[in-house]
Amino acid sequence: MTDCGCEKAKAELEEYLHNELCGADASDIREHLAHCADCNDEHLVGRTLTEAVQRACREMAPEDLRDQVLLKLRTIQSGH
Amino acid sequence: MTLSMVLERPGPDLDERLGLSVMTTDAIEMRDLFEEQALPFIDQLYAAAMRMTRNPSDAQDLVQDTFVKAFAAFAQFEQGTNLKAWLYRILTNTFINTYRKKQREPFQGTIDDLEDWQLGGAESRTAMSNRSAEAEAIDHLPDSAVKDALQSIPEDFRLAVYFADVEGFSYQEIAEIMKTPIGTVMSRLHRGRRLLRDLLAGYAQERGLGTAGTGQTHNRSTPA
Repeated sequence: MTDCGCEKAKAELEEYLHNELCGADASDIREHLAHCADCNDEHLVGRTLTEAVQRACREMAPEDLRDQVLLKLRTIQSGH
Repeated sequence: MTLSMVLERPGPDLDERLGLSVMTTDAIEMRDLFEEQALPFIDQLYAAAMRMTRNPSDAQDLVQDTFVKAFAAFAQFEQGTNLKAWLYRILTNTFINTYRKKQREPFQGTIDDLEDWQLGGAESRTAMSNRSAEAEAIDHLPDSAVKDALQSIPEDFRLAVYFADVEGFSYQEIAEIMKTPIGTVMSRLHRGRRLLRDLLAGYAQERGLGTAGTGQTHNRSTPA
């Protein structure tokens, strides 16, 4: 039957997204995505999800946490 | 002088300013090196700790414990290797050994063995038939919705997603951080992202985002 590459692409899309594929496999996927609207949309959802998680997880440590850590390290070090 | 004013200028003379006994030059150099190299990761470690403990007070304690342990082990850290991954290993270990015991959820230990339907959320798999609409909906969700969804998926899945998608660790690095085979990392990541996607699709539908043309009923019930 016709192998349009979708099966391979769908199976490897997540690894592709996380840069886990070797050069040859990655370029296979890249080529497939350029021609397959369906897989390209699936990849778009994957990328969007990653970006949404990155955005949501941005966090700054409270101001005084750094001070507390510095103080703690000094207290420990002077203790022995 | 307030504590933060004193701490603003770390360095050899800070001990004297704090009234601490004077250290050997080696010890001070080691500590300065640690502070210079490890402290810049404090925001990232805190963000990870927030995903782990789910509350600011425990997250702060966890980060502090992590730095204390890392400092104690810093002599064993091989300069030139990945300090960030090393700190995350200590953070994750500390969390699992100390904090997780306090707030362990049911089924936590066997989460990898549970079927998707037992975790809920699988129903909405076909809820969004149009993928570009789904991408757009996810893109427009408020951060709080994404955070809530992330907080609600099983911990091991959440951490795998966090390590890969936010911190950009490789599967191999995540395997070392979580002390689990790479295959398990891939499975946690895949299932975690799948659950997240289902939850976000459900959230978007409830709010009428990106639902145009699908006309499907969203079913949240869990099989008995």
